Amino acid sequence: METAFNRVVVIGYGKAAGEVLKYIDDRRADYGYTMEFIEHEPHGLSVTRQICGERGIPFDRIPQKQRLSAYLDSVQEKTLIVSASNNFLFPASLVEREHITIINFHNALLPDYPGRNAPSWVIYEGEKRTGITWHYVTAGVDEGNIIIQKSCEIGPDMKAYELTERLMDLAVECFCECFDVVLAQNVQAAPQTILPGRRMYRSTEIPGEGILDLKEEPDKLYRQLRSVDYGKSGIFPPLQMMVEGKRARVLRYRKIDPGKKKEEASMIYLPLADGNLLKIKYHML
Amino acid sequence: MMEERVLEVLEEYCGEALDYEGDNMMEEGVIDSFTVINIVSELEDVFDIEIDAKYVVAENFRNKEAIIELVRRLTEE
Repeated sequence: METAFNRVVVIGYGKAAGEVLKYIDDRRADYGYTMEFIEHEPHGLSVTRQICGERGIPFDRIPQKQRLSAYLDSVQEKTLIVSASNNFLFPASLVEREHITIINFHNALLPDYPGRNAPSWVIYEGEKRTGITWHYVTAGVDEGNIIIQKSCEIGPDMKAYELTERLMDLAVECFCECFDVVLAQNVQAAPQTILPGRRMYRSTEIPGEGILDLKEEPDKLYRQLRSVDYGKSGIFPPLQMMVEGKRARVLRYRKIDPGKKKEEASMIYLPLADGNLLKIKYHML
Repeated sequence: MMEERVLEVLEEYCGEALDYEGDNMMEEGVIDSFTVINIVSELEDVFDIEIDAKYVVAENFRNKEAIIELVRRLTEE
């Protein structure tokens, strides 16, 4: 099979980056390109380094933005950069180079929910469906033409990390479907219809501004708790709330059957619309 | 008793971990980072402990014995 690309560079972290990396490596013999992986954001549970080690894929860790820009700027060959769960913003000078093509996986159905932490915002807003988009990278954030999209349901109890995992699986599935046409430069890419004033979600924004307002409907609070739940990854700081006029930090939460309610210190229970209880464990600050 | 409860949690979220006898479940693909999040969340609830992010590293999830040891340390603190 033929492609004009001599080189494929993968940048990203997590499951999607790992699976995409493996797929590109599996297809290397079909096309003859060279490939490499760049880790820009290290993760304690990342396995991409190990994948590279096992398969003999060159691995480089470049956490500094300027160094990464300089490195990519030095690339002279016809290169496809695959950005899979990557938060590095490619500089316009790189994006505009003719011999560089960059594709990015965004974890929402663009043009909706551009920017950061999209799985959080779709849960917080009570959306019933979301999805993923592979798109070409342009100078504007999440504005490039769409290569492929797929949608999925957001379960009523889905937490941000669970939705993220589902979206990563979808991203890998879509990548495998479109890789050949991307390499052949034969994508029927669809331009995005971006309405004026489209909200761009920034990394500093937190659903509910990080405060759990107990005066709100419990079902909304449950959505807010799930929307910021990425386990221990520290994407968002723990939510805070006011208890008897004093500030408290949310430790954990769970939806439980009313029959399992146990009165404990530093615990509140709120009734959910489906008949269950929302249990919130907190710690006074 | 503590060990049994940890193993129950593992069985619920990653039964394969119970039979694993190696020394790196993550690298060998027995569990992934999302399963670790579920296990951590459940252990916190079951043992009423807080597992700080600094403990959520591959080393502490390399096999079931390492997870039991982690919970033992945190419950004794």
